[in-house]
Amino acid sequence: MAISTNFWIWIAALLTLAIYSFLYKDNPFYKFAEYLLVGISIGYGISIYWHNTIITKVYNPLVYDKNFLVLIPLLLGLLMFSRFFKNVSYLSRIPIAFVVGAGTGLSVPSSFEFLFKQIYATMPLKLDIGSLIIVVGVISTLVYFFFSLEHKGFVGKVSKVGITFIMVAFGAAFGYTIMARVSLFIGRIQFLLSDWLGIIK
Amino acid sequence: MLKRTLLLILFLILSISLFSENDSLIFLENQFPCEGFYITGRDIPNDGGSGIEINWSFPDSLDNCFLTVLRRDEFGNNSVVATDLLVSSKQVRDVSSDEEPSRVKDGIKYYYTGILSKKIIDENLLNILKEKSYLKNGTYIFNNDTFYVTSETDAVISKASWFNLSRIPVLISLIIIAFVFLYYLNLAKSGKELYIRKINGLDAVEEAVGRSTEMGKPIMYILGIGYVTDIPTIAGLTILSRVSKKVAEYETKILVPSYDPVVMTTAQEVVKEAFTEAGRPDLYNKNDIMYITQDQFGYAAGVDGMMMREKPGAVFLQGLFFAESLILAETGHSIGAIQISGTTETAQLPFFVAACDYTLIGEEMMAASVYLQKEPMMLSSIAAEDLLKVFIMLLIIAGFVISIFAFGFNIGLFKNLFDHLVNALQV
Amino acid sequence: MLKGKGIPIFITFLTGMIMIISFFIPHKPFGDIEKISLTWYSIIAGFTMLLGVDSLIGMHFRKLKRKDENWFFSLVLIIGFTATVVVGIIETVRFGTAFDERSYFTYIYNYFIVPLQSTMFSLLAFFIASAAYRAFRARNFDATLLLITAIIVMLGRVPLGEQISPYLPKFTEWIMQVPQMAAKRGIGLGISLGALGVSIRIILGIERSYLS
Repeated sequence: MAISTNFWIWIAALLTLAIYSFLYKDNPFYKFAEYLLVGISIGYGISIYWHNTIITKVYNPLVYDKNFLVLIPLLLGLLMFSRFFKNVSYLSRIPIAFVVGAGTGLSVPSSFEFLFKQIYATMPLKLDIGSLIIVVGVISTLVYFFFSLEHKGFVGKVSKVGITFIMVAFGAAFGYTIMARVSLFIGRIQFLLSDWLGIIK
Repeated sequence: MLKRTLLLILFLILSISLFSENDSLIFLENQFPCEGFYITGRDIPNDGGSGIEINWSFPDSLDNCFLTVLRRDEFGNNSVVATDLLVSSKQVRDVSSDEEPSRVKDGIKYYYTGILSKKIIDENLLNILKEKSYLKNGTYIFNNDTFYVTSETDAVISKASWFNLSRIPVLISLIIIAFVFLYYLNLAKSGKELYIRKINGLDAVEEAVGRSTEMGKPIMYILGIGYVTDIPTIAGLTILSRVSKKVAEYETKILVPSYDPVVMTTAQEVVKEAFTEAGRPDLYNKNDIMYITQDQFGYAAGVDGMMMREKPGAVFLQGLFFAESLILAETGHSIGAIQISGTTETAQLPFFVAACDYTLIGEEMMAASVYLQKEPMMLSSIAAEDLLKVFIMLLIIAGFVISIFAFGFNIGLFKNLFDHLVNALQV
Repeated sequence: MLKGKGIPIFITFLTGMIMIISFFIPHKPFGDIEKISLTWYSIIAGFTMLLGVDSLIGMHFRKLKRKDENWFFSLVLIIGFTATVVVGIIETVRFGTAFDERSYFTYIYNYFIVPLQSTMFSLLAFFIASAAYRAFRARNFDATLLLITAIIVMLGRVPLGEQISPYLPKFTEWIMQVPQMAAKRGIGLGISLGALGVSIRIILGIERSYLS
């Protein structure tokens, strides 16, 4: 195999190298790649929004399905533009109030579902040492999150056990991810050595 | 006897060979190889309507057969609900899908028939069956394949429910929890002092802002890649409010690069309000809370670059973070900033713990805004959360004790109790 | 009247309550409310996107005008943005959709965005190593515990671990299933309660810092 003659592969390869140059230090090549990525991705994002939101969620329902309910978010969206004008910019608080209300409102039942699921999963369906450790771990972790009691004496000791469980869990998650991240890097190196330089197959 | 059976078989073979050429159905009056198989239909409970559930019961011998379900509505229109289901799957739902909305309409009578076959059903046969308005229960032959037609179900009508009965445990606990919160709110109103324990990272906020100011460096506040509908983002915004108040008091600058435009506008509101409260609305600059991009790694690249060039003295990472968490935190560390991070993503917390000076873990982050502004009304909600924690602990311990009696000592009463407990928790 | 915080707080309260109630009512229109509100969010976000673009492009225009230190890169950003949008429009006219396989818009995605994104992502291989090194140097109990568990789990998931000891993969499995799971559930329970706290503070209007 020989070095690639494809113009687009060259672009992808040079941009890849430009990003890696950040590992040495901030430099013009990285800056170029960084600003380019931000600029292009926002342009791409606009196109996605246009296609997925304006056409699919506003224009089509309004024109073809005669779904006039869409006018409400349309109006809320337009109210956001009030921020361009200083004397009416307070109107943008209305859509913000709506989205914050929707977010918090939806989270209440979903937090409950999650809460129930966690408690359910902690119920020991069989009796063994593992179940006992899980019960101890869950309870001591919860004690660590106790805010209205000072972590002294017995509570302090239990919360210490809790933080130990938490650190073991974090370590496990850390170790679990390492190889996945290394394989991402290997993937990029493969692209450079095989697709671009043609050194390996 | 033998003679008659032989004759019958001969007759059968003859008739099959006669009719097999012209794709027609042969009805075998007295053969019921699928005895014990019948289907039933019912409205799907606790749904928003337009859904019927078809169940069937069957003897084990039919485990590997295929079932095709046909539907007839009260106006005589036939349609195919599903073809070639494995009998062992026990159930199919006739519901609207994204491609085909409102197939089942509420308030209309539907009748379902099952077609049981040993092989995958023939396309031609399916078309013939769709044409027929009513098929008599029994065994049929088509192109040498036998199949069995069940008797039609009773009329099934789908309807929408006004209340989801399966969510009663949630409703009950919601009411209890609402009472707990209201109780503590009243307690706070009546002037009772509520305590909150020390949270390490948050005592460092003052120090971080102060040190940045001394060095003449800005503060950077990163809200991650969540939307305003995500609670961690909302929690991050409430912490931003307290931090920017400190920033205004120290007369320094806060940079908030954002991922989502709605988050950006909300962050602008938050910072503006905090600066006004601190008596320094003149210091507020809308352009310091800027949009970067809605692309995860584009955002990481942009924020990294900004960190390298603006060299903030303190970096806050508070919100919803995914894989970009460590890219941001390591870059922040490399420029020597004090970093205070917090998120609810357990997969990202280890990286924050390793790369940041202080990390708020899960609920600590949710409680941070209260900690930074210790108002009685705010504190009351934390106290309520703690009481609920006690409830949960007692529930878990109770579950464990019951399971010891149920499984360890094999006591039936406790087994029942345990089953009830577990069922109530399944939502 | 609109200038005060009263109306926005009421809107938040009302929207929040409707969302909670609709969880228990499958009947229309409550049953679809989550889906509807997410659609609405994306519509609002779509419009707000223009505010975002105004913020970002405006900032870089100012830098360009002032001939800031990095003005050249601001120019790169503006050109990148404009070019992508223009190519998107042209290709939409040409193929009916910009996302056609033959369109240059797709090329931009495949040869600019994808390699840049995935290289940024792969930087994590280095960052995870430096973070681990730091944990190694921290020498306090928590950091050591984190690091030791990380090493065990990492080894337990690669063939080398099996060679060191056949018990290592099993022990890793046990760590994931028992202590890891326990802490994860404890943290999860705390998060649900914390989320309830945040939601209730906002819905009841105790927390109103998001409105100026």
